[in-house]
Amino acid sequence: MTFRRVLVANRGEIAVRIIRACRESGIESVAIFSDADADAPHVRLADVSVRIGPASPAESYLSIPAVIEAARSTGADAVHPGYGFLSENPAFARACEAAGCTFIGPPGDVIERMGSKIAARALMVSAGVPVVPGLTPRDQSDAGIAGAVAEVGYPAVVKASAGGGGKGMRVLRDENAGRDMIPAARREALTAFGDGTLYVERLIETPRHVEIQVFCDNHGHAVHLFERECSIQRRHQKVIEESPSPGLTPALRDAMGRAAVAAARVAGYRNAGTIEFLLEGTGEAAAFYFLEMNTRLQVEHPVTEAVTGVDLVRAQLTVAAGGALPWSQEALTQRGHAIEVRVYAEDPATGFLPQAGPLLVYREPQGPGIRVDSGVREGGTISVDYDPLLAKLTVAAETRGAAIERAIAALRTFPVLGIRTNIPFLVRVLSHPDFREARLHTGFIEQHLTRLLAGGDVPDDALAAAAIARPSPTAGAGVPAPPTDPWTTLTRWGR
Amino acid sequence: MDDADAVGALTLDQTVVLRRGDREYRVRVGDDGTATIDGGPALSVRIAGSGEIRVGRGQERTAWVASAGETRWVFLDGNVFEFEVAREGPRRTAGAARGSLSAPMPASVVRVEVAPGDRVRKGDSLVILEAMKMELPVRAPADGIVAAVHCRPGDLVKPGVPLIDLE
Repeated sequence: MTFRRVLVANRGEIAVRIIRACRESGIESVAIFSDADADAPHVRLADVSVRIGPASPAESYLSIPAVIEAARSTGADAVHPGYGFLSENPAFARACEAAGCTFIGPPGDVIERMGSKIAARALMVSAGVPVVPGLTPRDQSDAGIAGAVAEVGYPAVVKASAGGGGKGMRVLRDENAGRDMIPAARREALTAFGDGTLYVERLIETPRHVEIQVFCDNHGHAVHLFERECSIQRRHQKVIEESPSPGLTPALRDAMGRAAVAAARVAGYRNAGTIEFLLEGTGEAAAFYFLEMNTRLQVEHPVTEAVTGVDLVRAQLTVAAGGALPWSQEALTQRGHAIEVRVYAEDPATGFLPQAGPLLVYREPQGPGIRVDSGVREGGTISVDYDPLLAKLTVAAETRGAAIERAIAALRTFPVLGIRTNIPFLVRVLSHPDFREARLHTGFIEQHLTRLLAGGDVPDDALAAAAIARPSPTAGAGVPAPPTDPWTTLTRWGR
Repeated sequence: MDDADAVGALTLDQTVVLRRGDREYRVRVGDDGTATIDGGPALSVRIAGSGEIRVGRGQERTAWVASAGETRWVFLDGNVFEFEVAREGPRRTAGAARGSLSAPMPASVVRVEVAPGDRVRKGDSLVILEAMKMELPVRAPADGIVAAVHCRPGDLVKPGVPLIDLE
């Protein structure tokens, strides 16, 4: 059995990725879009598209009724949620099933259980998977949370019980820090996930973030697809991911893989998921702790695809339609080294502040071993309403060293102008001796921030080029020159 | 070539003053495809394609450029440089009026934490903004007194528009 028509309940690069997988599988794709995205690449690429609401996510990509209505009206028989938005919302998974559409992901009750950090932890403990010491206070008032923090001990982390991605997460180093951070964490949790429940955990100092990709089908098969090292983070969000992790011994990799499969099995998991672990210490002495499970496709899935050679999204379609996993554990291997860097519209110099505005120049790099997943185009506009991820650059090479060189070379030919991005910052991270020597931990960026932000002198070449720049060079080779202003272009040719 | 003509009409044989931070650079672009910076040795500079420029002294490399209003953007070898084109005449003061704080980007106001007359200390959070699903505190750059509040929760604010006046 296969699907006839899949609605992609997302936007940006992940919607593009899923639409491509549908096309390759002979499945029609339906894109949804808000008013801000009427001309976005994912809309242009899909077989059909449906407007679902205004730019505000709550009224469009986060609106269950609007998305379900789009699925109904287009006759979609399945819905792929991507990541973010409604992907980890159990009510949405159930609403899809109730509307007669297969939700491409795990069942709603599994999302619910794993989405609650409390329930997920309890489940992991029952399966013998190690967890970080922590608790969820019954008293969710500021005082109740502060009490729990004091009990767990400083430094502690306060997190949104319902979410991931660093949203609603705060590190409390001492008693004073708590006062405005606890309400801020709760508000962020409420905004991002619609649930302000907070959870408190002991902070593991200088940990590494290593996660295992798992995949389960309806026929009793569960496999892991090795690890991704995701220690390079800012604001608790990943920036660079790689596989294999340079920090794992073969014995540890094996132990984590087996723990992840056990975790997925005890959760009753279906489809693609990720078990995130914190790694404390190095080499033989390293210990790993269950952090959380992401019950969806991960942003950084291309890293796994690059080293294992599989197509995770296509496998998601197969498994959701009732098919068996296309691979056995024995058949899966890691080959070479892959690194993904996330290109964000943000300004590293001002605390990684998200940026919005027109993409006056946007040219993706090309070459052997270079993959770019993006959902933007030159002449488009980056809206304040959505996540500032512009593109993911994933490189694959024989060795880690070669992959680093390839990533740097690719970024040096990835001009993005009109809004600030983290491209120069990424080049400096990849070039840092501690990154090259794999001295990684989740505080890497914070530790090296001064050096990573240091801009050099202005070369004369840059000044001469700036002097002859003319307004908005947006036309590509072979394309008729648009009016000089991209805003005009949008108005004239947009809908 | 049309591109070259368009550029020529705009910039040939003229001096452009570019500002970056506290530095100012005088770039003279000649009609022979050369440029000089602050009277230094000449560089060759030519249009290679849309937004693409070949530039150098002896050996050329590619720079990508864009222009929006007074801002010039250059991407060169993985680095990005932003310049302001300075008009001859009195120097423009940066940003909004002195002593006022504005949003760094388009955002919505979640909460205003101060009222006129409040004494604030450097680093105090004055207004909580939200953009792209993240909370962004606007903090006091120095000790002072709140002279005026120009925003309310729920407001959509743009960069450069004052939110709080400090004195």
